[in-house]
Amino acid sequence: MAAAGWLSKDVAVIAVPVVTLFLGLLIGWLGQRSGFCSIGGFRDFFMFKHTRLLYGYIALIIGAFIGFLVLSLVTPAAFENFFWLLHKGLMPVPGAPASLTVTAYIVLAIIGGIAVGLIGVLLGGCPLRQVVMTSEGNIKSLVFVIGMCIGAVAYTAWIAGFGVTLLKAVGLA
Amino acid sequence: MAETKAKSEEKISCLDTLARNPLYVGLAIGILAALVQVLLISAGGPEAYGFCVACHTRDVVNVAVNDIAGTKLAVAAISQNAIPPVMTVIGVLIGAFVSARYYQEFRTKAGSAVSYIWYLLGGIFFMIFALFMGGCPYRMGLRIGYGDVVALIGVIAIIVGVLVGIKIATSMAEREG
Repeated sequence: MAAAGWLSKDVAVIAVPVVTLFLGLLIGWLGQRSGFCSIGGFRDFFMFKHTRLLYGYIALIIGAFIGFLVLSLVTPAAFENFFWLLHKGLMPVPGAPASLTVTAYIVLAIIGGIAVGLIGVLLGGCPLRQVVMTSEGNIKSLVFVIGMCIGAVAYTAWIAGFGVTLLKAVGLA
Repeated sequence: MAETKAKSEEKISCLDTLARNPLYVGLAIGILAALVQVLLISAGGPEAYGFCVACHTRDVVNVAVNDIAGTKLAVAAISQNAIPPVMTVIGVLIGAFVSARYYQEFRTKAGSAVSYIWYLLGGIFFMIFALFMGGCPYRMGLRIGYGDVVALIGVIAIIVGVLVGIKIATSMAEREG
């Protein structure tokens, strides 16, 4: 059964660019005002015991949970697998390479997470912060965002397939 | 007239106080991401996909490359079905630019040629590893809120990466000076 939200499929496919553009405008504005940054939150907490940004990231998780919970009571069909763990166990929400084993997903989450945290802290921010700093006129962040675009194509065209082959070769997928 | 102007400015500065606090911004992003899902999920999955800087950038870039070069790079179902795909990151770029201009915080900041190489490589590898993990830190947050245990492991790994990064950065700073 396909998930059903407030908009029917015909309307939703047209609304996607509009709704997400407005969401982005709002988040861009708020992100510029607040300096919102997830990796920066962890960094500031461990380096200076500053909790300002960290609380922002925790609030995001709590806000998402509240939003999912309330809206899933209103429209259960839009949140078929909330609370995910009860429906799908340890299998992650789709997004990473498809049809691997749970162990492989956990390995990918650990490797990916460490690399993301490391790169983020050395180059001064998570991807949202880099996009916002690009809009504030930071050329280094602009280069980072261009790198992200190249990385996206490289990942989809070659690296995802190579990674899955590698996981299969070591018996994880 | 002057009084109403002062009043409306006061209102803006009150809103701005909220906007400057990451706590409220985080809450807002989380709730809005859930709202986007309830509005748009009929267009296609995956779930907990309301806001993601890595995946939404991938969708926009891959769809653009597909349109220009005639390739068939995969994107999320929602971006496959909708034309054009999710525009979140374009929105963030514009929104932050307008805000930076409005509050006169726009400054062109250049770096050295070497720093550009590092940032380019950083961006490439950041994206690749984020996509292996299945999202940027924000989508990981949404997934945790959705009840995904692997996302929680991912965020713990991000914290480990941050700690390693701080170690490297401080030892580099000590060596230099």
